[in-house]
Amino acid sequence: MGSNRTGWLLLAPTLIILGGFGIVPFIYVLWVSFHQWNPFGANPAMIYNGADNFRRLVFDTEFLQSVWFTMQFGFFAVVSEIVIGYLLAQLLMRDFPGKSIFRTIHTLPLIVAPIVVGSVWRLMTTPSIGIIPYYLNHWFGYQMNIGSSATAAFVTTVVMDIWHWTPLVTLTLLAAIVGLPKDPFEQAQIDGANRWQIFWHITLPMIRPAILATVFIRLMDALRTVDEIWMLTGGGPGAATRYVGLHIWKIVFPKTDYGYGSAISVIVLYLTLVMCWLLYVGLVAPRVKRST
Amino acid sequence: MAEVTIKNIVKRYGELEVIHGVNVDIADGEFVVLVGPSGCGKSTLLRMIAGLEPISGGDLSIGKRIVNTMPPKDRDIAMVFQSYALYPHKTVAENMGFSLKIKGAPKAEIDAKVRQAAGVLDLTKLLDRYPRQLSGGQRQRVAMGRAIVRNPQVFLFDEPLSNLDAKLRVAMRVEIKELHQRLKTTTIYVTHDQIEAMTMADKIVVMKDGYVEQIGAPLDLYDNPANVFVAGFIGSPSMNFLRGRIRSEGGVQRFVSDHGSVLPVKPIEVEDGRPVIYGVRPEHIGLGAEGLAVKVAVVEPTGAETQLFARAGEDTIDALLRDRVGVRAGEAVNFVIDPQKAHVFDQQTTKRLS
Ligand SMILES: Nc1ncnc2c1ncn2[C@@H]1O[C@H](COP(=O)(O)OP(=O)(O)OP(=O)(O)O)[C@@H](O)[C@H]1O
Ligand SMILES: [Mg+2]
Repeated sequence: MGSNRTGWLLLAPTLIILGGFGIVPFIYVLWVSFHQWNPFGANPAMIYNGADNFRRLVFDTEFLQSVWFTMQFGFFAVVSEIVIGYLLAQLLMRDFPGKSIFRTIHTLPLIVAPIVVGSVWRLMTTPSIGIIPYYLNHWFGYQMNIGSSATAAFVTTVVMDIWHWTPLVTLTLLAAIVGLPKDPFEQAQIDGANRWQIFWHITLPMIRPAILATVFIRLMDALRTVDEIWMLTGGGPGAATRYVGLHIWKIVFPKTDYGYGSAISVIVLYLTLVMCWLLYVGLVAPRVKRST
Repeated sequence: MAEVTIKNIVKRYGELEVIHGVNVDIADGEFVVLVGPSGCGKSTLLRMIAGLEPISGGDLSIGKRIVNTMPPKDRDIAMVFQSYALYPHKTVAENMGFSLKIKGAPKAEIDAKVRQAAGVLDLTKLLDRYPRQLSGGQRQRVAMGRAIVRNPQVFLFDEPLSNLDAKLRVAMRVEIKELHQRLKTTTIYVTHDQIEAMTMADKIVVMKDGYVEQIGAPLDLYDNPANVFVAGFIGSPSMNFLRGRIRSEGGVQRFVSDHGSVLPVKPIEVEDGRPVIYGVRPEHIGLGAEGLAVKVAVVEPTGAETQLFARAGEDTIDALLRDRVGVRAGEAVNFVIDPQKAHVFDQQTTKRLS
């Protein structure tokens, strides 16, 4: 009995924080999502409207489009981050002059606040003053304008995300690679495997848990990016980079449609969970089953 | 199948030289055992032959081709690591079939070869397990299996039996020997167990501190050790050594130890009073009516043999007797030594004189 009380007491801070900052707001959002609520509108009262908000969502092309863009954004950003992050991690496994300086500098983006990242990239990509359009024009004769080209804007958001988050992937994968035992790789050479076969049959399966964990973390993060994108493109041109996070923001704040915004949040959370579940079922579960 | 020639091979780690110009010729199909105490460079030499460790000097050839800089995958060798080096994410069957899969062998062929090797190694029931679900000895057998499913130019074994229990070790020893007789593949086998070396080798290479001390057939090393180190390393229990001088009396040479024990030697050409080390194997000592008078300190009967630890004044001498003797600790007996079987080594160079 006594030890039970102590146990709850020790858990209490965590439970309070988790409840206060996680569960209560979530339940609140869920509750709001079943209402029509525009606190700054003509009728500021909360009116229960059942599943109307969700019904509206299914036919909301703006929303569906933003989900589609978000998924593309998440896919390209995370895949590139994993590939580049892995290559950088392998590079950091080798010795080269200036390695420690490089390692320090390459992690700097991680400590920059997203809002600052967005501002800096905005400066760098603004036509006529930005360094990127200047050199693209200088070297390739390409006129870059993320204010008018949807593709350019999309690519820029992906590149910015890569720039910001690849170091995280590098560090995670580096830790995984450093922890690998050496002799299976020697044995693979003896067994006649070339570099590519060693990568495919030995390295990849051995760092697979680390890769999957990184994919989960990065994917969930990428699916809810708001501030960087908001600073860089504001969701434009048109709705080309209006990813769901931004879409929710636009509905909740400028339009102050709290009920509908909450409904979208709930659905986005649901979609994120489904995607992670699919990844888990497709990639993790078969492994776990085989090895027990 | 191929011969392996190791010519003046040197290995340095930075400034530190750990192998100092080793020469070994290994004929096609020969079973060569590298023995030596821990840290003498056996694994390093083997890893250089495998191509896992760059060669700092000298020439290594496999099948008449110099392979100093050839990557391991092109050398066509199979190796069993001291640490097993299994692939942790692959099952036993996948571990064993990996080299064949890499070569693009058909699945049926891989399966057949893996099953056959598993049968030999008693791993059939474990084929679907992962390495972490195996005991040390089972892992070692998987590592063996991975080598024997292949048909390489050369087998390299780095203490492949060190983690097995005594019974399994003897069984595997016989298995490896039979395998070699069947396949006739050149084999280089590292061990620090001199019994393994004696029983398995066509040729033994005794190493110490990065030098080769002696190369020869097992019985040749036993009968004619080149120096004190080899004499002490080969044979169990180890040879008795006494320091002293050669004295001639009336044309008969004898060995007189620093503590005064007098022992017989066969005639050798050394000047009188030369400081030497006298060596005699415990199994070459018998009991008799006359000879060296000793006092027995400890008696260790093992059933088949009896080992006596005895003192002659300050000198300690062991004898290994084939039959059961009624000697008790504390008793005084006489040790009889056949001078033909005793060795005399130079104290300075430790080389054999007789
Ligand atoms: N990477 C390294 N850097 C420096 N010295 C090394 C390195 N690897 C091995 N050595 C040294 O080389 C010598 C030979 O090592 P090796 O592993 O070949 O010994 P071994 O004969 O296989 O011993 P054991 O019977 O214990 O396995 C040792 O003195 C060891 O300290
Ligand atoms: Mg070793």
